[in-house]
Amino acid sequence: MIVARPAEQEVVPVTLLASPVEASLSLDFARDARSGRTVLAASAQQPPLRVVRAFTLPDGAALVHLHNVSGGLLGGDRLSLSVNAGAGANVQLTTTGATRIYRPRADAAETTQSNEIRIARNALVEYLPDAIIPFAGARFLQRTSVTLEPGAGLFWWEILAPGREAREEVFEYERVEMKTEIAADGRLIAAEHIRLEPRIRSLTSPARLGAYRYWATFYICRAGLAAGEWLAAEGALREVAREWTRPGETLWGISTLASDGLIARGLALHGRDVLPGLHALWRTAKLLLYDREAIPPRKVN
Amino acid sequence: MPNAAHSHLSPDPLARLRLLHLADSALPIGALAHSFGIETLAAEGLLSVADLPEFFRGYLEEAGMIEAVFCRAAFRLACSGRARGEFAVAVWRELNERLNAFKAAREARAGSATLGRNFILAVLALGNFPLLREALEAMRGSASGIHHGPAFGLAGGALDLEEDSVVLAYLHQSMAGAVSACQRLLPLGQTEATRILWDLKPAIAATAAASAACEPSDACCFMPLLDVGAMEHPALRTRLFVS
Repeated sequence: MIVARPAEQEVVPVTLLASPVEASLSLDFARDARSGRTVLAASAQQPPLRVVRAFTLPDGAALVHLHNVSGGLLGGDRLSLSVNAGAGANVQLTTTGATRIYRPRADAAETTQSNEIRIARNALVEYLPDAIIPFAGARFLQRTSVTLEPGAGLFWWEILAPGREAREEVFEYERVEMKTEIAADGRLIAAEHIRLEPRIRSLTSPARLGAYRYWATFYICRAGLAAGEWLAAEGALREVAREWTRPGETLWGISTLASDGLIARGLALHGRDVLPGLHALWRTAKLLLYDREAIPPRKVN
Repeated sequence: MPNAAHSHLSPDPLARLRLLHLADSALPIGALAHSFGIETLAAEGLLSVADLPEFFRGYLEEAGMIEAVFCRAAFRLACSGRARGEFAVAVWRELNERLNAFKAAREARAGSATLGRNFILAVLALGNFPLLREALEAMRGSASGIHHGPAFGLAGGALDLEEDSVVLAYLHQSMAGAVSACQRLLPLGQTEATRILWDLKPAIAATAAASAACEPSDACCFMPLLDVGAMEHPALRTRLFVS
């Protein structure tokens, strides 16, 4: 539900008036040995984070939609997501829409989201969320930790929008900080820590985004593959990256990680150009690493 | 009485000379062979001479900051090792592995590791520094290698140089290398290049100062355009640089 604030004619969620929430969502997936399907074995949910049910995909994976029934994150909200994929499980997670980070009250603490993803031996987690949209004034901190056991796999992308472009609200958020660490078989293979404060350090600097507005990162991992296989995969995915690169509109880059994976980096002027590139990279990588088709997540809204 | 601006410099003239020597671009470690992605940006028209002052300021705030933080952490590690008579090998490994994981592009990661190892070897060729020898041995066979920033900081600590001066010198020579790369990639003359580096000195000093209060676990970097440039460097048709 939304209400109009007459003074500024800005549509704001009525939940701005609500108190910050501390919510968590914990999902445990297991592979059913008899059917070969992955099931949502246990879940613990605290509103506004919700999961209705798991859907079985044609390849036996479990698809789960992550809902935030409040419609977005408010100043001071503290959300945590914990995912455990048991040995051999195949899990696909997506969101039901963009994650909106609302403008907080001046005295509100920053909005935080922590994600902890543990992927057991030979399991696969595909985490394919919609974009994060930080509204003007938003302060958002996300911490993510992913651990992969031998043979475990990960496809995980992240998209950061510049703000509400339709309102010409671009890079007006106060701070977005994202800290990510991925470890495979006990070794740190990727670490990223970005702190974007557009009012202090211009994001349009040629050292940062330049003329582009959207930023995407895609991690593609499978613990235990040899370095040579990753180099070959980098070459194959570079072809895809170049196919989807249109200077001035979209840029894609691809590289092996320190070990056990690849990273794709995308920059786009328009949000509509990000997902097609990610899907193309995902399709190719899934075939290369798993000899299976990527199944785009069904959306429920 | 020394004024405040000079008080942080080492009073030992020999130490100052050694620092100048280690930060000299003539030190044979291969630094001039790397652009760390700048070559791609120049080739793709994403970086022009007019962009350079702003580009380098952003570069310092992001990549410069993270390198300075790791350089400083390694310096402190060496000092602590000298004081205790025992070098914390596990921390040294962890520093390099963390920085390695931070570097998204393969060529840039390998380039930094090559320079770091070459730097330690170059210093070891100048004298007997057991701590550096131990640091080199500790990383033998490691997948992450020794990165340039930590190597420079560790050597500074091992040689009993002054911390802030070491970080300043590291940042200055890194920026000088990047500006030099631009001279070879863009229509950038020597006078203008020198002016750019001169004008960057306040930003270099500010970055070095800011790094003093930042731990490696809190260091940030956001340079997606340069990341893409470094990632796509292997695909350039003609290349002057290794990275």
